[in-house]
Amino acid sequence: MKENVVIIGGGIAGMEAARQLLLLGYTPIIVEKKDHLGGHVARWHKLFPDMAPAGDLVRRLSEAISEANIFLETRITSINRLSNGYVVMLSNGVSIPCRAVLGASGFRLFDASKKEEYGYGVYNHVITNSDLEAWFNGAEDPRIVADPKAVGFVHCVGSRDLKAGNSQCSKVCCMTAVKQAIELKERFPDARIYCFYMDLRLFGKKYEDFYINAQQEYGIQFIRGRVSEVGETAEERLQVKAEDTLSGKPLKVQLDLLVLMSGMVCNPEVAEFARTIRLDVDSDGFLKSLDNVGGINRSNQPGFFYAGACTGTKTVPETLAEARAAALDIHRYLLGK
Amino acid sequence: MIDRIPSGFHPFVLPFLAGMIFVLSYCVYGIIKILVQLPGEDRRRFYLSLVTPKTVLKNIRDIFCDCLFHVKLWKRNRLLGYMHSSIAFGWFMLIVLGHVEVILFLPHRIRLFYYPIFFNYFVAETDSTIQGSLLFFLMDFFLLVVLSGIVLAMVKRVRSRLFGMRRTARPSLTNQIGLYCLWAIFPLRLLAESFTAHISGGSFLTVPANWVFRQFLGNDLNMLPTWWAYSIVLGVFMVVLPFSRYMHIPAEMMLIPMRNAGLKIRNARKGFARVQVYSCPNCGVCIDACPMSVNKANIKDCTVYLTRQLRRGNERRITEISDKCLLCGKCQAVCQVGVDGPGIRILNRAERNYALKPDYSSIDGTAIGRASAGGRVAYYGGCMTQLVPSIGRSVTSLLEKAGIDYRWIDRDGGICCGRPMWTAGRLKEAEEIVRKNEELIRATGAVTLVVSCPICYRMFRESYHLPDIEVVHYVPYIQALIAEGKLQVEHDDICYAYHDPCELGRGCQLYEEPRQLLSQVVRLSEAEKNRAESVCCGGSLGSLSLSFAQRENMTRAALENLYHSKADAIATACPLCQATFSRYADRPVRDIAEIVDLHAKANKQNKQAI
Repeated sequence: MKENVVIIGGGIAGMEAARQLLLLGYTPIIVEKKDHLGGHVARWHKLFPDMAPAGDLVRRLSEAISEANIFLETRITSINRLSNGYVVMLSNGVSIPCRAVLGASGFRLFDASKKEEYGYGVYNHVITNSDLEAWFNGAEDPRIVADPKAVGFVHCVGSRDLKAGNSQCSKVCCMTAVKQAIELKERFPDARIYCFYMDLRLFGKKYEDFYINAQQEYGIQFIRGRVSEVGETAEERLQVKAEDTLSGKPLKVQLDLLVLMSGMVCNPEVAEFARTIRLDVDSDGFLKSLDNVGGINRSNQPGFFYAGACTGTKTVPETLAEARAAALDIHRYLLGK
Repeated sequence: MIDRIPSGFHPFVLPFLAGMIFVLSYCVYGIIKILVQLPGEDRRRFYLSLVTPKTVLKNIRDIFCDCLFHVKLWKRNRLLGYMHSSIAFGWFMLIVLGHVEVILFLPHRIRLFYYPIFFNYFVAETDSTIQGSLLFFLMDFFLLVVLSGIVLAMVKRVRSRLFGMRRTARPSLTNQIGLYCLWAIFPLRLLAESFTAHISGGSFLTVPANWVFRQFLGNDLNMLPTWWAYSIVLGVFMVVLPFSRYMHIPAEMMLIPMRNAGLKIRNARKGFARVQVYSCPNCGVCIDACPMSVNKANIKDCTVYLTRQLRRGNERRITEISDKCLLCGKCQAVCQVGVDGPGIRILNRAERNYALKPDYSSIDGTAIGRASAGGRVAYYGGCMTQLVPSIGRSVTSLLEKAGIDYRWIDRDGGICCGRPMWTAGRLKEAEEIVRKNEELIRATGAVTLVVSCPICYRMFRESYHLPDIEVVHYVPYIQALIAEGKLQVEHDDICYAYHDPCELGRGCQLYEEPRQLLSQVVRLSEAEKNRAESVCCGGSLGSLSLSFAQRENMTRAALENLYHSKADAIATACPLCQATFSRYADRPVRDIAEIVDLHAKANKQNKQAI
């Protein structure tokens, strides 16, 4: 009989791990609270740096795990620890005994309406990075006007922001903003596009090329300085006040669309749940890895493993790599080595 | 009643006499010093108030209610109230009745001011009269009252929770000496009067005690040592009084007339501020009240410790405590003496010298004001409203629905109200901003100024001089619009808990108006601590040095206080409270303007008028 491995979360981390576990001869059981697999990536349009459609990645992964057990729209009601494993109880009444569990519960997008000064949910033309991707994917969005003359991107919304309760860098938003600015410019070649940033963290492969390109080829303007407040003019355009810290001057600009780069934050429900089975939670609210260099996949409890953004902010390739590593780690554990 | 001691003197009175002379001269010196330190204008005002019958009556009433009966403490906790008023009023009556005795029986001795205190030692009872028995009864009765207070005080030291206090201030050395003296004075008096009761007479307490003592201590030799002990303890108490918290007894009698005269603190360390500092009784009620006390590290930043450090002259701690505070004003609201903790702190902040001085000379208030002239009503959102745009939008929407001819005068840039500078202690800079803003507002030509931020509103009320312009917070303004029928509102069954913002409630005394307005559109439920005891949201601009983590703890504690109401959502009337709460709240946080706007529609006649 094939051995069960429960995977919490059906995002790309859970899917990739399930694929690897199938190849290793196990029966992965994915528990996903939403009605579809793919998590945040399923909502995304294109992935940097190759601009490959995110949908392709999710589709490939879905096909590869067709033999796995997948419970959609299902939540975990409790996990009980046994002497050498766990019993996972699901909201549909199923209970699964297993020796290994993989936590792949991912992250939450920062709720941009908490940064009230940006007017998300108040003004008609303020959206988030996630809303913009959905629109790229073809969703209707009345907030995006047909012919915008000027568009602004605000970096670090709810990340690296003590006041917003998250002091960590979300890692992917700098590059996402550059990518989205280019994509918007391609759709609206006449629009002026501004990025308001604190500093740009373009660490990955080809990221710097994107940044240079965005300036040279697309004429996107990068302004170093945080937006102080957003107002609305009588014509319902947005009026943004910021400081250009390079020139040391305050500036005011009128925009037709403002995109907030909402950061990745921990899911407080997950942290609460983790405490019930004595999993350590880190100071940033994410699940705590056994160590952050050689043991990112491991938790403080035997048989409980992690993959992806449940332990901190990750890019897509990092998440996939971690999922593969976690699958091998589980295999090693189940062999008792 | 006759004199038992012909000379009317015994050396045992000397310790008391010395202590009394010391404390009286200290107080006289202190009063003169403080009066000299007052600015001339304030001094004249103070003297004038002392000859104005109305204020004199108020002074007498306040001194009786606050110093003797401790009315405020009774309201807080009956046991605490009884403890304080039994000691204060009982002691006061013992002194008064002591004098009555001397005047009645030995009027020629009234010149000796120790006589009423040690009356029972110096007299012998010759015949019992109804007058005498009544007096002796009253003396014993009030001694019993004081003793019951002392017993409660002892219980309070170990179980302060019985008295409604979770934490009390840690007593300093002089406070401890004073405290033990105070505890010893009245039992010693009982002993001393009991030992002499068979000679001087006594009543239900002293006579039986005398009988008991005589059963096993058969002679009069014990009499003198106890009178000595009583006098020495009194003397020691008088000597430590100026250096202990008990200085609040004389200081408060100075504070009340000064406050009733309308004096304000003008110097951080001198004059009225000094009186305030000495009036602090160190009871520690402000510790539990202080929103910072949820952080263990901040417990010693409460007002009781500020006054203590100010008396000690510990500059490092004075600066720390002054900077840390959020200036929410709750310590002053709960203080039975009304020590102006926030005011003292702001002036201590003002002592600092800043190398960089901002220059506002280039700002032309009049020009900015003219640009937004035109409406009879000017709406001033303030900086914080710009940062929480939903509020400005709701207020203007309501004004539009009501058909008001208004201009949002700082929609596209304006001048700060000046309060952040003021609370930071940069009074001159704040003053300059205020003058510029006054020019601006006058230039708009408006007759009514509607303000949506309580921080600004308080500044407008306290520091602005706009004689022909009515400055009003939007809550009463919208109430009036509804009352006039210009706005029609519908009622909804959602339950809101209203959070009193510090600046609107304690700062501007608007407690009932927001509740009345809210209950016209939604259901209201009260937080555990509300109105004057509302808990600061933790986001106040007042603090210069609290860390985010400390503020977060405070915000969470304030939210717990609101969750206590079991309401579906939280209502407030301050952009800063809203921004702070919505970071951590598990339910929606909305401004009153937003809530009312959701439930309001324009009166049809208004539309026709437009």
